[in-house]
Amino acid sequence: MIEVDRLTKRYGLITAVDRVTFAVGRGEIVGLLGPNGAGKSTTMRILTTYLPPTSGRARLAGFDVLDNPLEVRRHVGYLPENVPLYGEMRVREYLRFRARLKDVPRSRRSVAIDDVVERCRLEEVEDRIIGQLSRGFRQRVGLAESMLHDPDILILDEPTSGLDPLQVREVRSLLRELGDRHTLLLSTHTMSEVEAVCGRVIIIASGRIALDDRLERLKTDPTVVIEARGPAEAVRTALASEPTIASARILAREDGYVTLEVKARDGVDAREAASARIVQNGWGLLRLEQRRATLEDRFVQAVSAAALAAENDSPAGSEPAPDDAELEAV
Amino acid sequence: MRHVTAILRRDLANYFLSPTAYLILLAFQAIAWLNFWELVDILTRRQVAFSTLNDPMNTYISGSFAFWIAIMVAIPALTMRLLAEERRSGTIESLLTAPVTETEVVLAKWLAGVFMYLALLLPFAIYLPFLRNLGRFDFELGPLISLAIGLTTLGMMFTSIGVFFSAVTKNQIVAAVSTFAVLFLLMLVTMMAYSYAAERRLAWAEPLRFVAVFYQVHAFGTGRLDPRFLVLHLSACIFMLYLSVKVLESRRDQ
Repeated sequence: MIEVDRLTKRYGLITAVDRVTFAVGRGEIVGLLGPNGAGKSTTMRILTTYLPPTSGRARLAGFDVLDNPLEVRRHVGYLPENVPLYGEMRVREYLRFRARLKDVPRSRRSVAIDDVVERCRLEEVEDRIIGQLSRGFRQRVGLAESMLHDPDILILDEPTSGLDPLQVREVRSLLRELGDRHTLLLSTHTMSEVEAVCGRVIIIASGRIALDDRLERLKTDPTVVIEARGPAEAVRTALASEPTIASARILAREDGYVTLEVKARDGVDAREAASARIVQNGWGLLRLEQRRATLEDRFVQAVSAAALAAENDSPAGSEPAPDDAELEAV
Repeated sequence: MRHVTAILRRDLANYFLSPTAYLILLAFQAIAWLNFWELVDILTRRQVAFSTLNDPMNTYISGSFAFWIAIMVAIPALTMRLLAEERRSGTIESLLTAPVTETEVVLAKWLAGVFMYLALLLPFAIYLPFLRNLGRFDFELGPLISLAIGLTTLGMMFTSIGVFFSAVTKNQIVAAVSTFAVLFLLMLVTMMAYSYAAERRLAWAEPLRFVAVFYQVHAFGTGRLDPRFLVLHLSACIFMLYLSVKVLESRRDQ
């Protein structure tokens, strides 16, 4: 559905998006995660044809953003950051206006509007003036508007920012429902949002993709923490010799007790083998715990790694020349 | 082009949600009434003939100082919001990510301005049937039609200037002041510079007279529908609209 190939956007000397490449398949819900200013919004603006890329290509629903922007717009629903709406219009009036702009056929317009009003639970405010609505309702009006023309792809820039916790929950459950009908690309800088809604996460830092993986894979961490009663070194060697275990490291030892950190080989659950090995040797197994990496850890890891890479990549700044006059004076 | 009507309708409706449009319409209504009163006053005086220079029908609209001042204020006030407000509030982003072209947006905004401008001229026209039927003053229709056409193309040009300045800035005040400055230049500065140049018989007097809006409208009012002026107005208008489209396409503020 979305194919992005070495997409780059420069503003003068600043590179906002740097050779970003990814692809999103039909029906996927992908979270674009990154710190502020990482290039999420710029990427989305390019994908929605609002901004032209400096180089690289992007195809949505089979149409190129530069060659065929109008077709792209017909297949994409977009919720810009901060949800710009015409404050002086009424909700239904606004939706009717947008439906006309989006070429929803006259015969289907009322049905389409009724549908999005119902899906976004806007019935109670449909005749109110948008400028007088609460933030949560405005957000929902924006969402309703983005799916008016039943697009294949929905691109949502921070759909839950500025909402209170209750509204966040509502919008999230709405987003999960949307996943059934649309391919969803949403940006956010809150981790929990990605965990709650997305199936896959793309982390962007300093304009580059720092990480792109399925959520469940990110959450599993091969590390197991074991606490046992027995001779520290012997326990460590015994565990390390186990074929499913990549490494074992002693974290703490204390008269006859030992705590180890064991890393399993990729994609293997080492807990069973480790516990069997300890029991077979007659040591006491006191604790065995799968360590859960939070998405936050992975996010911080990925972002700092990307920042480091970007720093190494940029040409080293020349040292400031010593001030001659000052040297002479000394 | 099918989106033009949708955007146009929204913008026209939007005019009437703020007091500006009502105030401007009221002001023009007042000016039209005063001018008409003056016209009737002049016509009731015993006078053998009017010279073409101060034909009362001509001075009724285009010879009135108040009318020109009001136009110079009204055009910026009506056009400043059109695109600048969309850019300030960010709605331009949702507008230009709908399957709508920049040309459609600019055309719709410009048409909204032109319609409002024509609505301002309407009060001047509604008195005329009364003058003819009740006042039994048999004025010539030709010069009035010529004047109406001329004022329309002039308004198209003025509105396109306003749309252009509304496109280049997010700030409505900047847009209004810039538009006012250009209109001021076209109306008063050219006129004064012409009279200065004509007095000294300078070579550039004639070109100045050609672009001086005041003399153009005067010519229309006397029944000379000079196609050169119409072409000048329309080509300037198309050029300004073209520039506005290019400004929107460049997404300058990003």
